[in-house]
Amino acid sequence: MATTLQTLLEVPAGYRSETVARFLWQLDEQRQALVSATRGLTPAELCWQHTPGMNSIGMLLAHIAYAENHLAQVGLERKDSSDTKAAIGLSEEEEGLPLAPEAPPSPALDGRDLAWFDVLMQRAREYTRRVAMALTDADLGREVRRRRPDGTERVFNVGWVLYHMLEHEAGHRGQIALMRHLYQVSRAGAPQNQGR
Amino acid sequence: MTPLVREVLMMPPGCRSREAASFVAQLEDQSERLRADTRGLTAAGLEWQPSPGLNTIGMLLAHIAIVEVFWTQVGPLGLTSDDVRRADMHTALGIGIDDDGMPLAPGGAPPATLRGKDLAYFDDLLARARRYSMRDIAQLGDTDLDREITRTRRDGSIHQSNMRWILYHMVEHFAGHYGQINLLAHQFRLTGGQA
Repeated sequence: MATTLQTLLEVPAGYRSETVARFLWQLDEQRQALVSATRGLTPAELCWQHTPGMNSIGMLLAHIAYAENHLAQVGLERKDSSDTKAAIGLSEEEEGLPLAPEAPPSPALDGRDLAWFDVLMQRAREYTRRVAMALTDADLGREVRRRRPDGTERVFNVGWVLYHMLEHEAGHRGQIALMRHLYQVSRAGAPQNQGR
Repeated sequence: MTPLVREVLMMPPGCRSREAASFVAQLEDQSERLRADTRGLTAAGLEWQPSPGLNTIGMLLAHIAIVEVFWTQVGPLGLTSDDVRRADMHTALGIGIDDDGMPLAPGGAPPATLRGKDLAYFDDLLARARRYSMRDIAQLGDTDLDREITRTRRDGSIHQSNMRWILYHMVEHFAGHYGQINLLAHQFRLTGGQA
């Protein structure tokens, strides 16, 4: 009998806005794919750098959690600034991006195992979900203005923040998949099939 | 004057469904970012492999275009025949579904079909794919997004999805490979290449 894969984008219960609910469904599917793609990662692979100055997989996982929580706080909740340390247990400094040229991975992540990163990302998602459940359709067009440390003014709306959370995680998940291949190549010297 | 960065999803005109328009806006945002990040890539950078068996930037760009057309065929267009889809893909892009060379065999080299192609070639491929997808996504109504689609995959398994998932998948697929392209371009620069 043929195997059946079912992927129906549906509306999860508990949200005030169907549009917001669908974004959370998409974020959760991304997370499911990320979790699946990261099983078996050892602390050695998590902190491996292809070249000094380049991100490790652990840094990218921490960055996914950090960025999601920062966006939830300043983008969805409209706080003036975020306190990710209080919310998920990780600060921007500990996450370590962007690395300086030639720099080693963030020392705050050194030796952390996969379960530690899993918990970090779960905390970020639980926070996002709680905030998102209260959003209405009218909130999606609401604009948020922020001044960046470099002096530029950034204007975005809540709908864009939800989309950005999604594409941000998807982009880094793609990089993590590629880095796992690069790690295998570096360890074994044997090229691997990457799949589609 | 303070520099202003404005980031909102701009809904394209001409779409019957606002939700479908949102997916198009997301695809357009991805394309704009990808385009900005790939300026200056040379043919050498586009066909650079970090190691034999690993994808090049050019392969990923072609793959994004092919997949966008493929899912438009499966979803909005509802083409069920492999033969019809293959012929239609050639008409739309000028290359076939396998011409991205993916998946590469272990130790494999990039496909000959993409050898020496420059950035303008890939820009055109991506633009053609977007014209193709936008034309048909624009025709979708709100109720079309709930439509369930069943197809048999190459390995014989059955995939059941709905139109909404297909549109979402087009966005997240694009974003995932765009992330990889940025990483490859960075690596290429570190090798001393002119990305």
